[in-house]
Amino acid sequence: MKLLCFILAVPAVVWAAPPVVVQNATVITVTRGAFKGSILVKDGKIAEVGEKVLVPPGAQVIDAGGQYVMPGIIDAHSHIAADSINEGSVSVSSMVGIEDVLDPEDVGIYRALAGGVTTANILHGSANSIGGKCQVIKMRWGQDAEGILFEGAKPGIKFALGENPKRQGMPSGVGRRSQGTPDNLRYPGTRMGVEDVIRQAFNEAKQYQQAWKEYREKSARGEKVIPPPRDLKLEPLVEALEGKRLVHAHCYRADEILMLLRVADEFGFKIKTLQHVLEGYKVAKEIAAHGAGASTFSDWWAYKVEAYDAIPYNAAIMLKKGVLVSLNSDSGELMRRLNTEAAKTMKYGGLTENEALSLITINPARQLDLDNRIGSIETGKDADLVIYDKHPLSSYAKVLKVLIDGQVYFDRDKDLSERDKRRLEKNRLLEKEKQQQQQQKKQGPRRPAA
Amino acid sequence: MRALSLFWLAAALSAGADDTFLIRGAVIHPVSGPSIENASLLVQDGKIADIGLKIVVAKGIKVIEGKGLHVYPGMIDSATEVGMSEIGSVRETADVSELGDFKPQLRAAIAVNPSSEHIPVIRANGITAAMALPGGGVIAGQASLMYLDGWTWEEMTMRRDAAMVLSFPAINTFSFSFTEGVVRGSYTDAKRNYDRRMKQLREYFESARRYQKAKAAGGPGFKTDLALEAMLPVLEGKVPLMVSAVRERAIRDALAWAEKERVRIVLTGVRKPGNTLADLKAKNIPVICGPTQALPMEEDDSYDAAFSLPAELHRAGVKFAFGSFGNQFSRNLPYQAATAVAFGLPYEEALKSVTLYPAQIWGVDQIMGSIDKGKSADLMITDGDPLEVKTQLKRLFIRGREVDLESRHTKLYKKYLARP
Amino acid sequence: MKNRLFVLCLTGWLSLAGRALAETPPVVAIKNARIVTVSGPVIAKGTVVIRNGLIEAVGDSVQEPADAWVINGEGLTVYPGLIDALSTWGLPGAQSQTASPSGRRGFVPEDPAPAPTPAPPGRPTTLTTPSAPPARGPEDRPYNTSFLLAADQLDPADRRLESARGAGFTGAVCFPNRGIFAGQGAVINLAGQRAGSMVVQSPAGLYLTLRGGGSFGGGFPGSLMGVIAYIRQIYLDADHYQKAKELYAASPLGNKRPDYDKTLEGVLAAPRVLMPAQDPKEIARMLRFAGELKLKAVLYGVHEGYRAADILSKYDAAVLVNLRWPEKSRDADPEAEDSFRMLELRDKAPSTPAALAKAGVKFAFYLGGLDRSSDIARSVRRSLDAGLPQAAAVRALTLGPAEIFGVADRLGSIEKGKIANLIVTSGELFQEKTEVKYVFVDGVKFEPSPEAPPALTEVSR
Repeated sequence: MKLLCFILAVPAVVWAAPPVVVQNATVITVTRGAFKGSILVKDGKIAEVGEKVLVPPGAQVIDAGGQYVMPGIIDAHSHIAADSINEGSVSVSSMVGIEDVLDPEDVGIYRALAGGVTTANILHGSANSIGGKCQVIKMRWGQDAEGILFEGAKPGIKFALGENPKRQGMPSGVGRRSQGTPDNLRYPGTRMGVEDVIRQAFNEAKQYQQAWKEYREKSARGEKVIPPPRDLKLEPLVEALEGKRLVHAHCYRADEILMLLRVADEFGFKIKTLQHVLEGYKVAKEIAAHGAGASTFSDWWAYKVEAYDAIPYNAAIMLKKGVLVSLNSDSGELMRRLNTEAAKTMKYGGLTENEALSLITINPARQLDLDNRIGSIETGKDADLVIYDKHPLSSYAKVLKVLIDGQVYFDRDKDLSERDKRRLEKNRLLEKEKQQQQQQKKQGPRRPAA
Repeated sequence: MRALSLFWLAAALSAGADDTFLIRGAVIHPVSGPSIENASLLVQDGKIADIGLKIVVAKGIKVIEGKGLHVYPGMIDSATEVGMSEIGSVRETADVSELGDFKPQLRAAIAVNPSSEHIPVIRANGITAAMALPGGGVIAGQASLMYLDGWTWEEMTMRRDAAMVLSFPAINTFSFSFTEGVVRGSYTDAKRNYDRRMKQLREYFESARRYQKAKAAGGPGFKTDLALEAMLPVLEGKVPLMVSAVRERAIRDALAWAEKERVRIVLTGVRKPGNTLADLKAKNIPVICGPTQALPMEEDDSYDAAFSLPAELHRAGVKFAFGSFGNQFSRNLPYQAATAVAFGLPYEEALKSVTLYPAQIWGVDQIMGSIDKGKSADLMITDGDPLEVKTQLKRLFIRGREVDLESRHTKLYKKYLARP
Repeated sequence: MKNRLFVLCLTGWLSLAGRALAETPPVVAIKNARIVTVSGPVIAKGTVVIRNGLIEAVGDSVQEPADAWVINGEGLTVYPGLIDALSTWGLPGAQSQTASPSGRRGFVPEDPAPAPTPAPPGRPTTLTTPSAPPARGPEDRPYNTSFLLAADQLDPADRRLESARGAGFTGAVCFPNRGIFAGQGAVINLAGQRAGSMVVQSPAGLYLTLRGGGSFGGGFPGSLMGVIAYIRQIYLDADHYQKAKELYAASPLGNKRPDYDKTLEGVLAAPRVLMPAQDPKEIARMLRFAGELKLKAVLYGVHEGYRAADILSKYDAAVLVNLRWPEKSRDADPEAEDSFRMLELRDKAPSTPAALAKAGVKFAFYLGGLDRSSDIARSVRRSLDAGLPQAAAVRALTLGPAEIFGVADRLGSIEKGKIANLIVTSGELFQEKTEVKYVFVDGVKFEPSPEAPPALTEVSR
């Protein structure tokens, strides 16, 4: 792992890198069709895309060998690269945030890269009606926590509806650490309670917003007052009310989806995306009318009651009914093959190739308000590119190279050729430790600490 | 031969059976041999009667136009909970894990709910048969090979005791902590626990053998014991043990144990076989792979460790089949195989490992697993390669009977697509 | 003043265990010894004079006073007494000091039950109140005993003090260590007639851990990010509390009186904050966090500091390095292979001090639960083998901690006027054969008895 860092580490300063040309490729732009041609990358950005691109002097040339280049995959729902995911102790945990606990050395980042993912939204878990703050990251493997942040990404927050947030309010909830007693049951225990928690929280947030408004007014008039105490729980909710923070809400059933949309209407904010949203197809009209995006699984179902009406046609129906749809993984494993997850929407619901690919590129980019930066191969966008050996929607496609900001962060050939070296280095450390232990035995054992 | 075909056909037609028909002009992929373009396939009384470029049949026979389509044998999922569990998180809907450590008398087949919503969903992707596995304890019970069609579990049952499921004891010092991730515990404790469980296992087999002898002797005091009775086909080598062993040491231990006990085994759950592959090949021990679409087990493992394991098994000459190990993703069985292809497994091998090889491993290759004369007409008609995600299944036949491709999913799809 | 100190010294030994020499006079001179002053060059042959608990003189041409009790230092070396920079010596109720984030995820659930309501001061071991409901948020102030002072908890009869002295330690920085805001540390001397006479400086800093309620059902905070958010909220609250108090003090008439909050009082009183960080990720995380909260942070743990010297240097951070290097479990599965990351950590952790020294990072050592002088010496030797200069190692156990905790004007080196905490050894410190001959704490002489077992906890009485 450390060796991996060492092998694949890349300089942090992207603009110092020479221009890169990816040539001899089938370029799948997603937004502007596909063609055989080249991509010129300068300063980490796509500078030119076309059938013929002039190679500047000193440019690094990557020959795609006639293979496929597509925009880096964006996973709208992931839990990798963080040291904690759930602050499950309270029903409103908006004071916590993933940014505080990013783990840039989680090998999951490298594995996601190897599956063509270049950007992911790292979300808080679903244990609470209002969860923690999310963090969008780029898979810049080898950089530190600051280095993997998606600079300038709009902040987000996780909400969760249905079975998960009410689990700790159930006397014998599945997955509870122990049987519930009146003492350790946590409100809410029903979907009604989930709505109540959210409404109460926003009611509080509005009062908090008002308190600050009054303070600023008094202060502006020159009155000597101290500001209201800052509340880290309510601040993100005020930001959500003010449209400065995107709400990503975990949900399953049609009823709870509709509930959340109406609560948002009541308090005057928008749900940016509904996550999982497995029954979204039942209320696609209402989702589209609210303007919420939907980020769903391709074919998960029946693992719990609220997933029993889940169908693999969900993405297709919602898309056809005007919802901005993406596919996500929610899993460090599935994350590595979102391309074939997208292909499933062609099988189930008959989406076109381009529609299918948009579910894992430009659509999640829009859902994160990052479509000016990523999600398609267009001039001016970040040079986040994936080279596949076959069409990315094929079951047999394999990622060969991944570029982020124009730099190669994953190279399958390199990965393969370094494996022996890693093994040897590891063997050396194992051997060294073994010898040290033998030597220590000779010197007499150390007494274990009391 | 043709005359014979005609005779059968006439007989079938007169009986009015719908398990007699001709598929015409399709690409037929027998799997056991090379594909045949623009060929025909005759199904008679639920069995494959003929395959050829031209088959002469009587007038009036049901003809399926196969132009532009492909015919494959139905796929077999070698590890599922099909019909035994409906909603994973709801205890009341799950009949997979029984109490107790040794319960060879348990039979999965009878807990397969033929009305499960999973069955139409799974078979709609071309899976015509599946192993239903009991779980829990050391000997979990008998796994049953089920056709994914039938009014009752009895009708669905292809082989009630296709395998005996054994979770092989392993020394495991890993545990997962919610707050700390993977943590390592005491080897001494793990070893002690392992020794205890191995002793139990040995003693159980010992008592089964004593029972076998006592039964053969047929003394007056002999009393039937249902559990030990169920062990007899295992001891006699008629039923293989489906032994889960993940890492090299467990596999090594399982092989040594099986040799000593003189029992036939099929390995499952294999993830890190290490240096055991040559041994597996030499002893002709098959492996049920899967899930291939899995994360590496350890941080230092190659990112594609699970993807490339089937290719590794193939290179070592080990026979294997794929299993989905669940219900939810059983329909994705072909994609497990396809991922293995992307990472080095020859395509033909991948196709065989979801059709012919599982049939061989479960001892039913005389009946299913390929398109050959005399075999059960378990067929899928597709518009392309079934391992490719976007390929559509057009029609499906199990034992010659066409199976409805509608499911809970398609019904909800149609209903809500039509919502005004 | 001098008189009072003298009396203290004299009476001090009476109540102390065994080896405080009854005849320690107010004036001692160690002559003809090699003197490692730490603050200045090594004196190849010279004299140290101790008077009334302070160093009166040191140098190669110092004459021993006529009234001095003279120790012939021929062949011996004098060092400043060693200081354990993060300890629980003198706090018999505290958890054993292996304190550092253990799991890879850097979050250790507090055990056993959560403690939403802090125990009254003076009873640190009864923190938990099992019947209390789980904390619902920062406002319940869970795991916050920032008001506890180690100085108030000291017990001069702690049996570990004597064996600590036997290993050459004369001082320690002790902290209450339960909960998230565990409490305020104190720089102490490892001998004294009464608890009060042991204290050199209090408070010395606020000890933070990242322990929480253990996720589901355990109350807030239940995760690493919950702990971090909680700490952040506490500092915001403390800031507001202070403003509110100032405003009220300026004009009480017509204004609402802010509630007294002892948990925030403790936070405000802390001159510095100790934060756990083991690897570069945690180090960067804590440094940025401390920067955000405008805290003067001292990081502890830091086993993977060999990969983080640059960022530590950039932030000008002070660091306490745990001398208990990570080791392979003695009960490990012989066939299980640890990860490359783990192997490398175990191989390279002892090179952290050298890397820090080279980068100019201020650091000190703490024992992390090591409890035999031979183990301590062996641990230090491993860092010497990994490139740490001997002088830097000595400094990391003397002047290093004194500087980090702001007591370098009175402790940590052999200089005129400083507290007479000295040790006299048979040779170079940390070498296998080197023995500690004499220990002076506040000028009181102790002699480690040769027959005593070297273990710090195995005190023969």
